Amino acid sequence: MTSQADPADAQASAGAISIRGLSKTFGALKVLDDINCTIGEAEFVSTLGPSGCGKSTILRIIAGLVEPDAGAELRLLGEPFGGQSDQVGVVFQTHNMLPWLTVEKNIRLNCEVRGVARAEITRRVEEILPVLKLEGFREKYPHQISGGMKQRAALGQTLIAQPKVLLLDEPFGALDALTRDQLNVELLRLWQKIRKTVVLITHSISEAIFLSDRVLVMSDRPSRVVSDVRIDLPRPRDPKATREDPRFGQYVTQLSALMGVH
Amino acid sequence: MSELFSRLRLPEILFFGLIALCWEMASEWFGIRPYLLPSLSSVLAALWNNAGELYRHSIVTLNEVVVGYLWAVAGGLALGLAIHTVPLARRTVYPLIVLFQGLPKVALAPLMVIWFGYGLTSKVLMAFLFAFFPVVIGMLGGLESVPSHLREHFDAIGASRWTRFWRLQMPAALPSIVDACKTAMPLAVIGAIVGEFVGAEGGLGYVILSANASARSDLLFAALVVISILSTLLYLVVELLGRKVWWRGV
Ligand SMILES: Nc1ncnc2c1ncn2[C@@H]1O[C@H](COP(=O)(O)OP(=O)(O)OP(=O)(O)O)[C@@H](O)[C@H]1O
Ligand SMILES: [Mg+2]
Repeated sequence: MTSQADPADAQASAGAISIRGLSKTFGALKVLDDINCTIGEAEFVSTLGPSGCGKSTILRIIAGLVEPDAGAELRLLGEPFGGQSDQVGVVFQTHNMLPWLTVEKNIRLNCEVRGVARAEITRRVEEILPVLKLEGFREKYPHQISGGMKQRAALGQTLIAQPKVLLLDEPFGALDALTRDQLNVELLRLWQKIRKTVVLITHSISEAIFLSDRVLVMSDRPSRVVSDVRIDLPRPRDPKATREDPRFGQYVTQLSALMGVH
Repeated sequence: MSELFSRLRLPEILFFGLIALCWEMASEWFGIRPYLLPSLSSVLAALWNNAGELYRHSIVTLNEVVVGYLWAVAGGLALGLAIHTVPLARRTVYPLIVLFQGLPKVALAPLMVIWFGYGLTSKVLMAFLFAFFPVVIGMLGGLESVPSHLREHFDAIGASRWTRFWRLQMPAALPSIVDACKTAMPLAVIGAIVGEFVGAEGGLGYVILSANASARSDLLFAALVVISILSTLLYLVVELLGRKVWWRGV
């Protein structure tokens, strides 16, 4: 449950993401120091850690946007990887909508760039808009919709390409607590439907527990994975029942202690 | 244009009416000699009486302005793009045109006439020189204004350079490009007129010079009126085209 070693190591060679000996240095700044972890297929994993410890950097490395230091062994769906892959979708903290395109066109963009056939893109859009509750806003421009809608649209921008692995970097971090809770419930419902591998970065302990199968806790720079906590709460998770589950409180206490919050 | 007129209300009418009245009555009220400032009515009369001639010269100037301006826009956009994409161009061409921009371009007019003669070419070049720089800067600034998180998004979805250029950089640069094109338009008119002052066989600048030589200040003012109308109309054309390609929603 704790410690650097990954308990799922043995059977995890077939994991969605496998990271061995990952370090990253920016100039003189050592950000990541020998990160090891394996994330199983269709697993929902959250990452907690102090600000600036390199959580976003890990995500960027998995997404192929940043080069790791030499010596890392990275595998995506069993294949060694370098560079960005069609199998991976990322949602960042700031939404990535182009201000000159409508919601629908923004969502289509990803697939258009990848050369998916028009009819197929349209089919996917029709499927995804209701799920994201954006049907009535498809013709709106980003500045005409709320922050929560923008983040849902950002999710759509990524999901439209049907990635096998979804990387979420504080996707709702810029929103107020209420909207954020609401979007988390929606995200959970969505995930229960599509069952993709998800790596979520968050600053919220309760958000991490509520959503995840596992929570990885990272240390301060140069950072390592200091613990790997399995969240044994029944699924599908109902927001109210989950929060009232006594184990929820225990996890909050455990993770707070690990992160040095008391 | 229609929007401009439909908005005209009493204060605007009073404001412009007062200016027109002061102009008309300048010699009576303020004792300004008519050859220094001919009355509005005599300028209008000069416009009417010389309409054919002014029209012919307007076409000459219009031609110079439009050709010079289009070259400036095309060249400015191309050079801005080159400076943005080719590091060597940023270190060589960019400082060169910044240095060149420091020259008073008015002073180049005689040179243009010496090099290219009294015809169209020297005026087109003057219009080009005046209009070129803002377009380069507008293009460059626009391309550089692409937010880094959007660039990263295009990296993440695996966009090619071509896609990135047409779907991200150009749309992001458009507002800045449109502004630059608007700034450049009246500058092109100034350039062409300056070129005509130095040596020309036609054009509104030529009309001003010859009206001046024959002490016809009413015709001189009529030519000024035509220039400002021409310049305004051209500006409105660019403004309308600009609105077609870009909305200012954000
Ligand atoms: N491109 C870069 N060049 C130089 N340093 C960088 C770069 N990207 C990140 N860093 C540094 O690496 C460290 C980790 O950054 P990162 O964004 O991964 O942190 P984080 O854990 O996501 O923080 P937060 O929780 O505040 O988002 C920071 O100290 C940052 O300054
Ligand atoms: Mg971050």
